[in-house]
Amino acid sequence: MRLSSILQLPVLLASSLLAPIPHVAAEHTSNWAVLVGTSRFWFNYRHLSNVLSMYRTVKRLGIPDSQIILMLPDDMACNPRNAFPGTVYSNSDRAVDLYGDNIEVDYRGYEVTVENFIRLLTDRVGDEMPRSKRLLTDDRSNIFVYMTGHGGNEFLKFQDAEEIGAFDLADAFEQMWEKRRYHEILFMIDTCQANTMYSKIYSPNIIATGSSELDQSSYSHHADNDVGVAVIDRYTYYNLEFLESEVQDLSSKKTVGELFDSYTYEKIHSHAGVRYDLFRGGTDAARSRLLTDFFGNIQNVEVDGAKNTTMDEEMLALSKTIAQLREIAAEEEAAASNASQPAKSEPTRSQKKIQLAKPLTDENWWTKKLVGATALAGCTALWALGSYLEAPRN
Amino acid sequence: MSSPLADRLDHGVASGIDASASAPAAEADDNQVSNRSSQPPAVRKLPPPESSADTRRRSLVVASFWFIVLCLGLPIWWKTTTIYRANLPLSQMTDWADGKTCSPVFPLQVSVEAPALQDGEAQNLMRITQYALETMTDFPGYRLQLEMPQTTTADQTTDPSRESNTALTIRLQPGDVAASTLHPHLPVLEVTYPPSSIPSPESSSNGFATYLATQLRSTFAEEQAIMSYLLATSSIPSDQQPQGSSLDTTESLSKRMTRSLKYSGTYHLTFSLFTSGPAPSSWDIEAAIDQYMKPVLDMLKPIHNFTIDTQVQLYAAPGVHSQVLSKEDLSSFINAAEWPLSPGIGGAPTVNFVVFTGNQTIGMDSETETSQSWLIPQWGSVYLLSPPPATHVPSDLLKQPILTFTSHLLSLLGTPQSGSLPMRLSTLTRIRSADLLLRASSSLGSLARLSLALPSISIPSSVADGVAKSMHHLELACANLGSTESLEHARIAEAEAERAFFEKSMVGQLYFPDEHKVTVYLPLLGPVGVPLVMGLLSELKAWRQRRQQKAKLS
Repeated sequence: MRLSSILQLPVLLASSLLAPIPHVAAEHTSNWAVLVGTSRFWFNYRHLSNVLSMYRTVKRLGIPDSQIILMLPDDMACNPRNAFPGTVYSNSDRAVDLYGDNIEVDYRGYEVTVENFIRLLTDRVGDEMPRSKRLLTDDRSNIFVYMTGHGGNEFLKFQDAEEIGAFDLADAFEQMWEKRRYHEILFMIDTCQANTMYSKIYSPNIIATGSSELDQSSYSHHADNDVGVAVIDRYTYYNLEFLESEVQDLSSKKTVGELFDSYTYEKIHSHAGVRYDLFRGGTDAARSRLLTDFFGNIQNVEVDGAKNTTMDEEMLALSKTIAQLREIAAEEEAAASNASQPAKSEPTRSQKKIQLAKPLTDENWWTKKLVGATALAGCTALWALGSYLEAPRN
Repeated sequence: MSSPLADRLDHGVASGIDASASAPAAEADDNQVSNRSSQPPAVRKLPPPESSADTRRRSLVVASFWFIVLCLGLPIWWKTTTIYRANLPLSQMTDWADGKTCSPVFPLQVSVEAPALQDGEAQNLMRITQYALETMTDFPGYRLQLEMPQTTTADQTTDPSRESNTALTIRLQPGDVAASTLHPHLPVLEVTYPPSSIPSPESSSNGFATYLATQLRSTFAEEQAIMSYLLATSSIPSDQQPQGSSLDTTESLSKRMTRSLKYSGTYHLTFSLFTSGPAPSSWDIEAAIDQYMKPVLDMLKPIHNFTIDTQVQLYAAPGVHSQVLSKEDLSSFINAAEWPLSPGIGGAPTVNFVVFTGNQTIGMDSETETSQSWLIPQWGSVYLLSPPPATHVPSDLLKQPILTFTSHLLSLLGTPQSGSLPMRLSTLTRIRSADLLLRASSSLGSLARLSLALPSISIPSSVADGVAKSMHHLELACANLGSTESLEHARIAEAEAERAFFEKSMVGQLYFPDEHKVTVYLPLLGPVGVPLVMGLLSELKAWRQRRQQKAKLS
């Protein structure tokens, strides 16, 4: 058994602290959101509505669907036990249908696995993965990561079948940082003993918050009697309440610190945790980040002044000329090469070639042939032996 | 229970599986005997003494079990559970990332054509100018190499654009005053000089030579500034970098570099017409692009490829409904939730160009300024078109939007702003190859650090291949920095480094808690391990007993 990975953690921590920190400019240019629900089945309705409410919020604040990765392990809207088919509500007043008619789920059902989640974060995906299912961030991207489900001390269960450990999550973030795949991350998790999940993170520029401490449960807020199950968790509910009431649009100047200050034990019934120490600039810098830096999509547009159109036209004319010049040059070059090799094309007469079956890969071709030949020879030898042994009896 | 019985039981375990099966039977027999006859236990019937051959055989059985476990089981277990980690040239990779292998100094060749000058005079002028260039201390990272073309003829038709290694040609013409202009079509700096200013062969400094050097410097100033910005933001530690980037330009440069898209061989351009109502419902976009944008795209062909698609959306509501749009409104004008602006087509990054017809206007700070378009960094640009009279938008109405988009495209691609167009393009080539070079190097460095930091991650051999290929191409790119082949090599190097870093199989759960390992191994190791260890122990015990007896006897 190799237990060495634990021993290496301090080394790892030290190396990450000592590594040269690349210069990162203060501005970010794109916002991404990764929203993950991890539990299946009807009685976990609230986890899916948690995720969908967050989805609605970030979308309301302008993050386009192409920059939201939504992972839903189950489809509550189409569950046969749903009294309101095709809808998901996060409040018993049923005012807002979270499922709506404009929702883009990127990973659904059994695609929501630990492996896919880590692949998503580290972008270790195959060529077959469409762009819409990838996290195409760079060192100017702010990412909001929201997770909810059933968890425990340093793990979060995925689909009743597997779990992601706090170490795996921390390593995934570190890989992202190494490849400069984010500028800043806001990590939010709503699950039992949630604060243990972010305790192992060691990469810089991450603000983390969770719903409950070690050995504390995270509770649901209220149930809808007609739906028949709890519809939202307390922590998510009060986050949403703050976002809906205080962050109406992108012009809001509310900060991350103000959101975190709004958490109280009376409301959430557990001790919500916050982690600032990873952030460059420490607590103050982290607290002063605007909520719209993570939940909204800020675009620093550049408005053109009154332009003189002649410049553009001049450029067009120029590029036409240059393209012409290039063409002429290319033609001349082609002519020159033609002149130097005049009769090159003569001998390549159209020969009728028989297309052979081409193996898909030609690695180990000889080995395969050899194995085949040996097997054939072996069979022949067996047959010969058999007939030799049989011969004396007759 | 009496001690001989316990002893026998021990023997039973020690003699392996078949012996242990017979032990309880022996015990049962024993009990029956002792119950039936009321004789004292001292005369209890003992099994016949083992022959020494049996003892030896039993030792051999135990030894063979241990032999199989140690020599076959352990290696197989080790082999099958070891994570394959290909050898990576870690020190070389870190060297690349730290900029020790390749100093990004661009040797720029500037050829001097001076048809009106004597050879000697020209050589002398070049020598002095070269000296003046080299003594300019605030111009690092660049080595401008002046040279005379091999065939020094007065032939004006020599086409400088065909000599790929020459960054700039200086054409010296006699004139009244010292003046210089950039040729609009070709990378040529046309300099006129008063004939009196040509230095004499003896002089070591000269006013005209200094003037020439200053002109050259200012021609490449922007490129140099961008290059130092790239180096400053790269992973290369600052003591390896050529010093002297002017800090005052960094602010605006940083803004421009932030705006530009990450390099890609191919970009996908999406032209969208969004209308607030039912009209206009069609546009002559194909003709307009052919006419107003194609030439620029053709010109960019050596650096980028482009694919294009277009769409028309009716009744598209913008994100902001106010009549006059302030600058804050513009950032949320794009209705990201409803406008279909993210085609998942192909692997190329998308640049969006949106024409919106509606009667909204942009309110600028000052009353005199008007504007109809704005640029969104790394995303694309938007043009507000006032509603045309008909339902069809003809191509001449699209001229202004497309021209605006073209200039926005150039700035989104990171094209420098000063200088003539050919100069800007060749600068773009150099900037992009430096950018790719730095990015590939930094990827290699990241991979090296990662493989050290995560000892349980598997590294398949394809990663090692990718690293080797990447470094090979980096060397090639570094060998002829500044040329178009260099861009090509840098592109391959970057792609290979990315592929190596993002290798699909380098993933999976790396961390398993100890409880997991125990639960996996215990059901296997318990039943197998206990008889093995107990057998070995009792065999050792028996062996010691035999030795003691032997010692007693002798």
